[in-house]
Amino acid sequence: MSLEQRLAWRNVWRNRRRTGLCVAATVFAVFLVVLSVAMADGTHEKMIEDGVRMQSGHVTVTGVGYLDDRTLERFVVLSPELESRLDDEPSVLGWTPRLASFALLSEDTSSQGCAILGVDPETEGRVSTLPERVAEGRFLAPGGSRELVLGARLADSLGAQIGDEILVYGVAYSLEMAYELYTLVGTLKLPNPGLERNLALIDLADAQEFYVYGDRLSEIAVRLESARDVVAVRELLGAGLSGIEVHSWDQLMPELEQFVVLDDAGMYVVLMILVVVVGFGILNTILMAVLERTRELGMMMALGLRPAAVFRVVYWESIFVAGVGLVVGLALAIPAVVYFVANPIPLAGESMSGMAELVGMEPLVTFELAPLNPVVSAGTIFAVGLLAAFYPALRASRGRPVDALRSL
Amino acid sequence: MAWRLAWRGLYRNRRRTFVVLAAVTVGIAGCSLAIATNSGMAVQMVKTAIATELGHVQIHAPGFDAEPQLRLLLEDGGAVAAQAVEGRAEVRAWALRVRGQGLMNSPRASVGIRVVAIQPDAEAQISSFASSMTDGEWFGSQSSRVVIGNGVARRLRADPGDKVVLSVQDLAGDLTGQAFRIGGVFRTSSKAVNDTTVLVRLDEAQRLFGLAGGVSELILVAEDFQAVDSLAEVLAVSLGETAEVRSWKQLQPLLVYMVDAMDQMAWVMYAGVFIAMGFGIANVLLMSISERTREIGVMMAMGMKPRRVVLSIVLESMIVTGLGLALGLALGFFCVWLLQGGIDLSLWADGLENLGVGAVIVPVIRLNDVVAPVVLASVAALLASTWPAVRAAGLRPGEALRRV
Repeated sequence: MSLEQRLAWRNVWRNRRRTGLCVAATVFAVFLVVLSVAMADGTHEKMIEDGVRMQSGHVTVTGVGYLDDRTLERFVVLSPELESRLDDEPSVLGWTPRLASFALLSEDTSSQGCAILGVDPETEGRVSTLPERVAEGRFLAPGGSRELVLGARLADSLGAQIGDEILVYGVAYSLEMAYELYTLVGTLKLPNPGLERNLALIDLADAQEFYVYGDRLSEIAVRLESARDVVAVRELLGAGLSGIEVHSWDQLMPELEQFVVLDDAGMYVVLMILVVVVGFGILNTILMAVLERTRELGMMMALGLRPAAVFRVVYWESIFVAGVGLVVGLALAIPAVVYFVANPIPLAGESMSGMAELVGMEPLVTFELAPLNPVVSAGTIFAVGLLAAFYPALRASRGRPVDALRSL
Repeated sequence: MAWRLAWRGLYRNRRRTFVVLAAVTVGIAGCSLAIATNSGMAVQMVKTAIATELGHVQIHAPGFDAEPQLRLLLEDGGAVAAQAVEGRAEVRAWALRVRGQGLMNSPRASVGIRVVAIQPDAEAQISSFASSMTDGEWFGSQSSRVVIGNGVARRLRADPGDKVVLSVQDLAGDLTGQAFRIGGVFRTSSKAVNDTTVLVRLDEAQRLFGLAGGVSELILVAEDFQAVDSLAEVLAVSLGETAEVRSWKQLQPLLVYMVDAMDQMAWVMYAGVFIAMGFGIANVLLMSISERTREIGVMMAMGMKPRRVVLSIVLESMIVTGLGLALGLALGFFCVWLLQGGIDLSLWADGLENLGVGAVIVPVIRLNDVVAPVVLASVAALLASTWPAVRAAGLRPGEALRRV
């Protein structure tokens, strides 16, 4: 330690109580910020993961213009070239063809509109978790024999039981009415309540026949090893092929991404307020430490310490106070986050779980420790601490030694 | 005496007091503005839902709320319910509706939709569809017109004037259809509504669904939003077993939960900020005491009771917090007032509409937003002053006097 740092370090511990309180405030801020950010990251990550594993896949191949209206008009055909690209790309974990449309389900006199997804029972599990979500009965059997699987809430509102025959009405690709009887073989429990109320699955071959769609598809959902490969794979799959578009999950679910942005924005505003409040606390502590040493600092300057050196001494003090707070805060926060990553908190109470349902997530608060989180959180608080020390440091170095010596 | 001591403690080092005050003010102002914005979103979600789907009170045939079936119709085509509602001072406007599900196809595409059959003139009084038209016109004198959400129009790739076919399952269970022309397109603040809703004239829908004049719902808007619950109860009593009366809160409890959750979040946010402030306040009090050790020693030597010393320090803490609270709330509420034109978040309009919120958010101050900071500020001020107060009261006059 240089002389200046030694001076500063001693000053920090001169009034232990004061420093202690200031450090405690910093520790509290670090702890709260790191935990809040981890909670937001975890919750958002889970929403995205649920969305990706339930609906879009990481990357989706569709016909041109599909994103605009998502109707049967926008189709894609699985060409041999596309198929070999999907099979050969090492970062592709799995892919599955789908047909997406709407239908009116009717059992006796009750009818309910819903989204119909024609899936290939054999490959669907490579992309989505839908086959694992069966609540009652079983998932579709391969081969296509007019079987139907419904979201549990959709089945409830139809009053349908496993084994019931359900009449499906739809408008075929030819724009003629299509109708067909399907047997309900299973229901699905899904994390997104809205989806559970609105999703019906049938076999892809059945769907292509029902909608008179030939070998056309609405989408080919692709699951990747990691979300990081999305952009690269998107470009690789689409290159040089006409009649297809390749979208990433955030293009398919823009509302999800926007929700994350808005939710984050709200949180950062509040955390920033907290950090500013703590910054004022640091400002006050350092300012007091400087003011009560007016005479001492004057003496040092009279003895030849340069103003710049005084400025640095005060700055080192604030760095030490903030630094100790950061280290202790991180030492407390990181184990806490690690604990919560392993043990997510279920949302208790009607209001909180109701809110979760409204935004379409499971009533479960999950945490995630992104490497950037502690770094950025600590960095921000440190920066605010340094900013707060500017005025006290400036004051300390500006005084005229003579005046300072005269003051008590 | 305690007051004078407290004021003197604060006045003695004005710079220090000013910094604490600034911290409290900025913290509270920021929090109150953030919470008001949150509340603004919540209120807008409620308003949107009421203006499109819910109304204030709905009357259905018994069992409709649990399972909304086409066959559950109001008695006498709604005449009984209408009689109960008509002429009541608390009711601003009411209308009859039929709800059903169906498929709609244009020459280019087909989509699944929800049919809401309405009485055009009455509907314009109770919902926001008529005032949210972006293209074409609201129902006029022409027959066989539909007014559709912009999401439906986009997916059908159809515009006003285009022909569409609406297919539904009628009351007898048969599939039936009818051709309509698109009269107009609306865009409300709710994506779910815009993407799925098709409005049809009530009499035409009754014919299409084979209802023979049947009506599934009477929806009304009350004069006083606060009195909706009691109005629903009065109506329920007067209608008895023949109908089921539901307020918007009963129809969509999730919205109520969400508003509650916003309140809980306000408490958590304020608590976080006040804990951070508490450390700062405690620090300032401690410094102020250690500077005045001698003064306090003199007072105690002259017979001032430790109790009064404690009181003066608690008061000091209360004064700083109270002033900061008043300034902070004033500043926060002033900002809210400045933002009454709304905060334009058009950039995230899709995300907001997906939540049922429009792109322009007007911050709203609710009672809880005042109660939470006042309660928490008092607690924080008390807690922050305990340690310093106990320390000061424990001073021994003899020793204190010897200190500089």
